[in-house]
Amino acid sequence: MSRGGSVSLRNIVKRHGSLTVLKGVDLDIRPGEFFALLGPSGSGKTTTLRILAGLESHDAGSVVLDGRDVTGSEPGERDVAMVFQSYALYPHMSVYENIAFPLRMVKTPNAEIDRAVRESASRVKIAHLLERRPGQLSGGQQQRCALARAIVRKPRLFLLDEPLSNLDAKLRLETRVELRKLQRALDVTAVYVTHDQEEAMTIADRLAVFMDGNIVQVGTPEEVFRRPVSIEVATFLGSPPMNLIPARLAGREAAIEGHRLQLESDYGAEREVLLGVQPSRIDIGAEGIPAQVDLVEHLGDSVIVDLALGATRVRAKLPERTRLAEGANVHLRFDASDVHLFDPQTRQRITA
Amino acid sequence: MLFAPALVLLVVTTSAPLVYLLWTSLMRIDLTMPFLSGFAGAANYVKMGSDPRFWNSLLLTLIYTTTTVVLQVVLGLSLALLVMQIPRGQTVLRVAAILPIVLAPVVVGLFWRTLLLSPDFGLVDLVSHALGFGSHAWLGDPQLALVSVIAIHTWQWTPFAFLVLLASLASLPPDVFEAARIDRANAWQRFRRITLPLLRPAIVIVVIMRTMIALSAFAAIFAATGGGPGTATEILNLYAYRTSFTEFNLGYGAALAVVLLAITLVISFLMFRMRRGR
Amino acid sequence: MRHTFARRFALAASAGMLLSVWGFPVLWALLTSFKTERDVLAYPPKVVFEPTLAAYRDVLFGASSIVPNLVSSIILSLGATFLTLLVAVPAGYALARLELPTKRASGFYVLATQMLPPVGLIIPYYLVLQKVGLLDTYVGLIVIYLTFSLPFAIWLLVSYFEDIPREMEEAALLDRAGRFRTLWYVILPQVRGGIAVTTVFIFLNAWNEFLFAVVLGGNRVRPVTVAMFNFISVEQTRWASLAAGAMIAMGPVMLLGLIAQKHIVKGLTVGAVKGGGRR
Repeated sequence: MSRGGSVSLRNIVKRHGSLTVLKGVDLDIRPGEFFALLGPSGSGKTTTLRILAGLESHDAGSVVLDGRDVTGSEPGERDVAMVFQSYALYPHMSVYENIAFPLRMVKTPNAEIDRAVRESASRVKIAHLLERRPGQLSGGQQQRCALARAIVRKPRLFLLDEPLSNLDAKLRLETRVELRKLQRALDVTAVYVTHDQEEAMTIADRLAVFMDGNIVQVGTPEEVFRRPVSIEVATFLGSPPMNLIPARLAGREAAIEGHRLQLESDYGAEREVLLGVQPSRIDIGAEGIPAQVDLVEHLGDSVIVDLALGATRVRAKLPERTRLAEGANVHLRFDASDVHLFDPQTRQRITA
Repeated sequence: MLFAPALVLLVVTTSAPLVYLLWTSLMRIDLTMPFLSGFAGAANYVKMGSDPRFWNSLLLTLIYTTTTVVLQVVLGLSLALLVMQIPRGQTVLRVAAILPIVLAPVVVGLFWRTLLLSPDFGLVDLVSHALGFGSHAWLGDPQLALVSVIAIHTWQWTPFAFLVLLASLASLPPDVFEAARIDRANAWQRFRRITLPLLRPAIVIVVIMRTMIALSAFAAIFAATGGGPGTATEILNLYAYRTSFTEFNLGYGAALAVVLLAITLVISFLMFRMRRGR
Repeated sequence: MRHTFARRFALAASAGMLLSVWGFPVLWALLTSFKTERDVLAYPPKVVFEPTLAAYRDVLFGASSIVPNLVSSIILSLGATFLTLLVAVPAGYALARLELPTKRASGFYVLATQMLPPVGLIIPYYLVLQKVGLLDTYVGLIVIYLTFSLPFAIWLLVSYFEDIPREMEEAALLDRAGRFRTLWYVILPQVRGGIAVTTVFIFLNAWNEFLFAVVLGGNRVRPVTVAMFNFISVEQTRWASLAAGAMIAMGPVMLLGLIAQKHIVKGLTVGAVKGGGRR
């Protein structure tokens, strides 16, 4: 059924009064891809999804689905299904009727509706709940019901607006995996909005990072995580976020608090930079950059250590066995290959 | 535009008549002497200044409105606070409170005039007699008549304040009161510092709604006293009505109605300002 | 909390007072309606008496039967209720979904029309209806009833429509329902409660209306409220009949009050607790 479902957004601009919410968004999503729109709240990711669905108009640009320009066409004409953050289940209808609704609206024969409803329901494991009302379901069951309503019509495009944000932590992890499997099984394009970078990283084939109405980076989770294009992206990803340490860069060498660090490539003339390193890439040992332990947080399987490196705060994620006294003097180490360099003025990544 | 039919209807049934009313108030239309009809300018309004019956009705309107509204809110709030303390039987009380609200004011006026207030046979008179206060012409004596119509209005509409405030009381978050108890607030302090401020929006709305209704009260008084004895209970509303439809002086009646309208608008404007202000 | 005996007793006693202040007058009227005219005027009043339906017989089948008035009231109330809902439901929905500035302006207009004192409107109505020949007709009076029922209904319904999340409509649109079917299948079923409350209120207000009916009605259109009023001015001392008439006239609304008690409390409070707070 699939092999449709390519999406192209061309220079989408959206204004709310004097506020520009989207400042020219370009995006290409391939058929069958699980694509995440990631960004902090207010960055424009949900607006982009809603424009894709046809729920919101935009001021410039075009939306192309499967090579057809659908700009300005009604949501119902676009053959897209959506799972809302609040699920938007119809409270006065049973689960069965909720799932059947999209089919009833296009006058599908009853027998076919029945078959499709039962199939979708069993796919998301709520076949035993069909007679209930949404109000009688748990949060997780409601979420599944919304999912079933979206997949029952076999759309070419599947939109999900933070579908897991109302679930508790454990359920979120489980559902994440199931969602991924479901999308693979249905072989349908999915566009997934989330502000949770970990969620996006684990679920998506590719993702787009939104910042302040722009897409600042597109790539596979790994690419984005490995080579964040700017300080904003770098600090948005990872938990705890990437450390940024002021340093002096000259040639193949960076100096931090008088300590010299050899880099992988030559960066030319001397200048001030911000040196980024993920907390998990920091090690503590007998030699390296001297720092003082401020605070130790035990997370169970790991330890987050707050360190004072001169005037800079650095956080390191260490194995759980680590025993460190608060106030102790230690030394930090990290590999040159784990270092990201950013220009403090442009805030962009520095490449050799 | 789904709103359009309603808008048209509202304009036709309220705004247009309003303009017509303003126009009428500038006319001399006397159905008993139709030959005198014609444009009169502000004459109707000038006449009001020297019309003692107008000033009397204005004063009565103010007395009637303030006392009934204050009584309704104070009684309604007290009863609501009281009933909140009663663990069971709230439903029965609510049903009893619904009764006066659903009755037609004109029927309530008649009820009181006959079965409750008539000397010697009325229930109130019987009770008064039994308590040693003697029998009175409740609606015949000018001062007592005013008290009576105020009592009638208060009887019928206190349940409104009561039910609304009871519902708002029940919807207040209980943890706030628990926090206040832990913070050593006694019952009175809890009422003054927690309940009252939290209820304030509801109270203000009740006051606004009840004021509007009191200003346009008509049927109950009309049925109980007809504005009398003499003009003892003739609030502005009744005066405008009597002028228009028993004396058939439509022009002057319209001018009186315009004054009532202006008062209503000014008061509601002030009240809404007050509500938004704080 | 300390629930001493005295405290409980005081609470129970005050609750009883409450009941009697509001319930007893109505009960008294009910008792009176089963008395003979002679028993009514007995002194001291008779609490124990031989009940009779004479008064009811008189009111229903006597010379000035109340039955035509009941018919009149029913036509007026049902007509006004139906017409109001027909206009107010789409209007309330539209208003709830309007952009904020327009919404505030329209909301204020609706609220303002609700404040107009009826006496102010009745003179123009009288003159206009007289001109177009609609005095003492059902059409004329029902249209006039819209003046008070329509603003109230819209105001009440808006707060119900506002409670429905926009996402619900968006989901329906994505489900290919279209505007009209979204309203019919998704939105309206969810405001059933609000529509019920509104219906009860409009019906009550229309049934109880007196001022417009007495001025703009006449021999043909004379609802029970006007009939009751005329009763007292004509027949001063027939209290049993008066009470019986009142019981019949107010029976429907009292019944409605008992059945739809929850709806009424809700309607009263919607405006006070939330509806008014937002606009």
